[in-house]
Amino acid sequence: MRIGRLPARKARILAVRYLGAGIVTLLFLFPVYWLFMISFKTPDEIYHVPPLWIPGQIQFSNYYVLFRDGDVLAILNSVIVAGVSSGVAIVLGTLCAYSLARFGTGGENLAMWIISQRMIPPIAVVFPIFLIYVYFGLVDGYFGLILLYTAFNLPYVIWMMRGYIVDVPLELEESALVDGLNRWEVIWKVVFPMVRPGLMATSVFTFVFAWNDFLFALVLTRTEVITFPVMLTHYFGGQSNFWAKIAAMSVLGTLPIFVAVSVMQRYLVRGVSLGAVKG
Amino acid sequence: MTLSASFKAAEQRRPSRFGRMLEDRLPYLIVAPAILILLLVGLFPLIYSLIVSFQRITMTENDTSFVGLLNYAELFRDTRLWASLGHTTIITAIALPLELLVGFLMAQLFIDRMPGRQIFVALLVLPTVISPIVAGATWRLMFDVRFGPIGQILSFFAGEPVRILWTVNPSYVYPAIIICEVWQWSPFMFLLLLAALSNVDQSQLEAAEIDGASYLRVLRAIVLPAIAPVIAVACLIRGLDLVRIFDIIWALTEGGPGSMTETISLYTYVQGFSQFETSYTAAISFLVIALLTLITTLVLKRMELAR
Amino acid sequence: MADVKLSGVHKYYGNVHAVRGIDLTIADGEFAVLVGPSGCGKSTLLRTIAGLEDPDGGAITIGGAVVNDLRPRERNIAMVFQNYALYPYLTVSENIAFGLRARKTPEIEIRKRVSEAAEMLGIGNFLQRYPRQLSGGQRQRVAIGRAIVRKADLFLFDEPLSNLDAQLRDEMRTEIKRLHHEITTTMIYVTHDQVEAMTLADRIVLLRDGKIEQQGAPLELFEQPRTGFVAGFLGSPSINLIPATLKTNGPEAAVVFQSGGELTLPSAKARPLASMDGRDILVGIRPQHFSRAGGPLRDGVVSYSATADLIQPTGTRTFTTIRIGGVDAVAELQAHDVSSHGERIDLAIDLNRVVLIDPASGLVIA
Repeated sequence: MRIGRLPARKARILAVRYLGAGIVTLLFLFPVYWLFMISFKTPDEIYHVPPLWIPGQIQFSNYYVLFRDGDVLAILNSVIVAGVSSGVAIVLGTLCAYSLARFGTGGENLAMWIISQRMIPPIAVVFPIFLIYVYFGLVDGYFGLILLYTAFNLPYVIWMMRGYIVDVPLELEESALVDGLNRWEVIWKVVFPMVRPGLMATSVFTFVFAWNDFLFALVLTRTEVITFPVMLTHYFGGQSNFWAKIAAMSVLGTLPIFVAVSVMQRYLVRGVSLGAVKG
Repeated sequence: MTLSASFKAAEQRRPSRFGRMLEDRLPYLIVAPAILILLLVGLFPLIYSLIVSFQRITMTENDTSFVGLLNYAELFRDTRLWASLGHTTIITAIALPLELLVGFLMAQLFIDRMPGRQIFVALLVLPTVISPIVAGATWRLMFDVRFGPIGQILSFFAGEPVRILWTVNPSYVYPAIIICEVWQWSPFMFLLLLAALSNVDQSQLEAAEIDGASYLRVLRAIVLPAIAPVIAVACLIRGLDLVRIFDIIWALTEGGPGSMTETISLYTYVQGFSQFETSYTAAISFLVIALLTLITTLVLKRMELAR
Repeated sequence: MADVKLSGVHKYYGNVHAVRGIDLTIADGEFAVLVGPSGCGKSTLLRTIAGLEDPDGGAITIGGAVVNDLRPRERNIAMVFQNYALYPYLTVSENIAFGLRARKTPEIEIRKRVSEAAEMLGIGNFLQRYPRQLSGGQRQRVAIGRAIVRKADLFLFDEPLSNLDAQLRDEMRTEIKRLHHEITTTMIYVTHDQVEAMTLADRIVLLRDGKIEQQGAPLELFEQPRTGFVAGFLGSPSINLIPATLKTNGPEAAVVFQSGGELTLPSAKARPLASMDGRDILVGIRPQHFSRAGGPLRDGVVSYSATADLIQPTGTRTFTTIRIGGVDAVAELQAHDVSSHGERIDLAIDLNRVVLIDPASGLVIA
C-alpha cells in the first residue's frame, strides 16, 4: 500500500502517530541536544541568562581546551581499558561458552553460578577488591582495571555466547569433524564464523559496559589511569561547574557509544535483555 | 587417480599423543581461564570480605580477632543505613513502575509499522546506552537554576520566574533523580516491550478483532499474558539495577542535601572509602547481597509459578 | 574402498538403550540402507560408525581395521547430513573443498577434484554462489559433492532427502543411485522412508527398537518378511492385516474370518500349518495382491466379492477401500477397475503371496 493512496481516515491516523512519535522523540532527545549544543557554545553563551537554545556559531574551543590540557588522555585510557578487557572477555568467554553449550561442562550448576556472578552488586565487591588491589599494587594501573572489567564482563559474554552457540546447527560441526578438523579447528573455523554477528554484538555491549563503568574506576584510579567518567566528575564543583568541559567531555565519551550501538541496532534487544528476549 | 593416490598419505592426519590429549581435555581447557578469572576477581574478594566481616578492622586499627556477629548486630542499630535503604526503596518503587509505564506507552506508539520507525527507535534508545555519569551530568545542565532550560520553560508556563534548586532543595531532589532515571531507562523498557509486542501471536489478535473484543479486553486477555515473561525479565534487570543505583545520584546530588538521597550503594561507599570501616563495610555488603538474592529468588520463583 | 563390520554394538543414552547388540557385515562396494521407524536406533548406529558417538560395547571394523578408538576424521569416511550442513559463510566451491583443505591437500588437486565433482553433479554454474542462494536440491548436490571429493573409503548418508519436496526427492534418489554406480564406494544410508530403502538398497537392514529385525535384498524382505513388523513396514500402501482363525484338515488349510467367510489356502502355504488347527492368526494381504476378477482363476487365486467404499485414484492405479473379514482393507486396482462409491466389485486375491502372522509372537508362520 502506498502512502499517497491511503484512505483519508488511515492517513489521519498515521499523521497523528507521526506527531506522537515526533513529540516523544523530541522529549527524549532534547537533553542530548542540550549537551551537544553547550559543548559548541562560547563561555558567554553558556552563562547567558536566560539560556540560549541555539549557539551563535559552532566553535570547537571547548574541545581544544580538553586536548590542550591533556584531559583527552582519559578518553584514551577508557579506549585502552574497555577495548582490551572486552577483547579478552570475548575470547575467553566464548571458549567457555562453547564448552558449556556443547559438552555441558559443569552441568547446569556451573552455568547458574556464572550468571549469578553477574548479579553480584559491584558495590559489594568493590571494597574488598580495592583492599586486595592495594595489597598487590594494582591500583591506578591498566592491568588492574582490565582484569576487573574482564571478570565483570565474562559472565555476560558466556551467557550471551552460549545462546548464540546453541543456535549453531550441530551438524555443521559434526560434518567438519568427519571432514578432517579437530575440535580446536572446529571452534576456530566453524563455530567462530557462525557466531560472528553474535560475537560482534556482544563485544559492543561488553565495550559499552566497561566504557560506562564509574564505580570501579572511581575507586581504582588515582592520577595515572583516569577513565573518562571519573574525569567528568572532576569537573563538578559545588557552585562552580565547568560547564564547557563537562559538555565537551560528555560528547567525546558518548560519540563512540552512539556509533557502536547504531551499527549494532539489530542486536540491541537480545543484548540488553541478557538474551531473554530475541529481537 | 594415481595423483590422488599419492596424496593419500597427506590426507591421513594422525595427531601426536600430546595433540590427542589436548583435544580430549578441550572441554575443561577452554573453561579454565574464564573460571579462573571469575574465581580470582569474583569469588575470592567475596570470601575475603566474608572473613573480614567477622573481624574488627577499622581505619585506625587492624584488629583481626574474630568478633562473631558483632558487625551484623551493628547493622540493626545503624539508623543511617536503614534510612539509605529507605531512600533506595523510594527511588525503586517510584522509578520502576514509571519506566515500565512510559516504556509501554512508547511501545504502543511504535508497535504498528510505519516508514522511518527504525530511525525513531534508534534515536529513542540513545539515553539508555550513554554512561549514567553523562546522563547525570546532562541533567545537571538541564536543571541548573540559572543557565538550564527547565527553569526557563517552567517560567514560561507559570508566567513568572520559577527558581528551583533541583539538586539542592529537599522537596525537589527526588523528582530530579527520578526524572533523570526515568529518562535514561524508559527507552530500555520500550525496546524490550516493543520486541515482546511484535512477537504477540498476530492470528490471536485477528481472531479477537473478528470476535469484536474491545481494546482493553484484548490487552488484558491476550497481550499482557503474552508479554508477561518479558515484563518480568525487564523488571528484574531494572529492579536489580535500581536497588544498587549509584552513578546517577553521584553525578546529580552526591547523596545530598546532607544524606537525604543517600542510597545503600552510596552509604556503603562512604563507609568504605570515607570512614574506612573495613569490617563494617563488609557486613553491609553482605546485607546488600542477601537482599538482592532474596529479591531475585522471589521474582524467579513467581515467574516459575506463572509458567 | 572398504567393507564394514559391526559386532555386538551397543549404545546407551542415559537409561535409553538405543542400539542393542548389532551384528552386521556390509561388503565392499555394497549400498546398505538402514531403515526403520523413528527411534529405532538407525541414526545412532550410523553416527556410531562415523565416530560421532562412542559405542558402549562391541567393535566397529572398517576396511579390516577396528576403528573404535579413531576420531571421525581418522576413519576416512565422508558423511552427508539431513540438513546438508553447508557452511553459510563459504561459497559452494569452498564448501566442497572444505574437507580437502582440512587435510592439507595441494591446491591443484583440490581444484581438479572440485571441478570433477561439480561436473558429475551438474552444479558447475553455482560454484561461486553461497548456500543461501541455492534451492534445496542444489544444496543437497553440494553436500554430496563435498563427500565425493574426499574419495573416502565409506560414504554415510543420514536421511539426506527428508528435507526435500516429493518431486525433488525422486530426482535426487535417482541421482544417488547413479552416483553409487559410478564411484562404487561402500555406502550406508539411513532413512525412515521405505520407498527410498527399497529403491536404493543392495541390502536393506530393517531396525526396530535398536535391533535388526531382518536384513536382505529389498525384494527378499518384501516377499519373505520374517515378521509382521517387516511385512507392515515395507510396501505402500501398507499390507492389510485381517484377524482370522486357522482351520486345518489333513494337508489342507483355510483361514476363517471372524466375521464369517473363509479362504482356502494353496497347498504350498497350507503345508506348514498342519498342526495349527484353531490358532488365531493375522492374514496379511498386500493391496497389490488384489485384482479385478476376470477369466479363469490361477492356482491359489480365489475370488472375493466386495463393495467399494473409498476410491482414491492416483492416475495409473486406484486405491479402493473394501470390507474384508470385518475390517477395512485397501486394494490396489487398475485405474478404471472401479468407478463409484458403493459399487459391487468381484476381486481376485492371490493367496500364494499372502503372509500369515502369529499375533502373539509377531512372527510370520507361512
